[in-house]
Amino acid sequence: MNDSIKQPSSAIAPLSSAWLILVALTLISPFLGLWLHGAGWLQLLVAGIVWLKGWLIARQFIEIELAHPFIRRVMQGFILFTPIMLLLTVFLGNHFARWATL
Amino acid sequence: MTSLAIPLNEAPTETVSKGRVPGNKGIWVGITCEFVEFIVLFVVYFVARAHFPDAFEQGADRLSRLSGTVITLLMVTSSFFIACSVATMRAGQQRRSLYWLVAGLIVSLGYPIAKYFEIQWNLANGINGESGIFFTVYYYLTFNHLVHATWGILGILWVLARHLFGGYSPEDYAGLEALACYWHATDIIWLVIFSFFYVLA
Repeated sequence: MNDSIKQPSSAIAPLSSAWLILVALTLISPFLGLWLHGAGWLQLLVAGIVWLKGWLIARQFIEIELAHPFIRRVMQGFILFTPIMLLLTVFLGNHFARWATL
Repeated sequence: MTSLAIPLNEAPTETVSKGRVPGNKGIWVGITCEFVEFIVLFVVYFVARAHFPDAFEQGADRLSRLSGTVITLLMVTSSFFIACSVATMRAGQQRRSLYWLVAGLIVSLGYPIAKYFEIQWNLANGINGESGIFFTVYYYLTFNHLVHATWGILGILWVLARHLFGGYSPEDYAGLEALACYWHATDIIWLVIFSFFYVLA
């Protein structure tokens, strides 16, 4: 029975892999802004990268899959908030501005 | 069939479904509050951006992308080193855990230094808090993050002092893991800020 209970990891390899992916995504990101300047789907790509980076840190560094459901939901909610808001601002920017006008 | 009905078997299932608290409950109260605070600040960013899309499209071109990238690499790398410190502690390698933590501290100290040079660069290029809505939001968000990172660096120093005096063991490393969780959360927040100001042109 207890075999199914996952324990926190003490392995360095998965942490190293996550770090390498994070470094690669970070180094690519500034060039995306330059190469795809003005392209509508840049926002979509950046939203995806922001989510992926947050998910990697939450999953590999904080190990949220082993965490209490409240912690899991807080992390997943925060990681999802920005990409969703980014897309809403891009596609519904005018509506959002009108709605947020005092 | 019969074994499923025995109440004793429910205990491990419940433990799995509840999950563990990485670090301690107190740090998760702090991290949740930090997330709520930054969600409010991000809403300010989105509202400003929806109202002034041109200012936000042109603003990133005037900032130093190199500074933003360096700070991101420093944050991600220090986060990785501190995660390694927790992992090696779990493996019973206390001395290695200490070395990873020292490496994490050294790299994290690069953040305020890089920020100092970035601000000097900004000021030399005529960018201050009154240079327009984009830069006002930029300074507001990035300074706020720097304050949170400074708390994190002070936390690393405290945990390092405790680690040096044998305050953590493979059986009890909650303080070290709590610090790691706070630093990872601060790292995630920076990754969002990086995309807001240095990537989306």
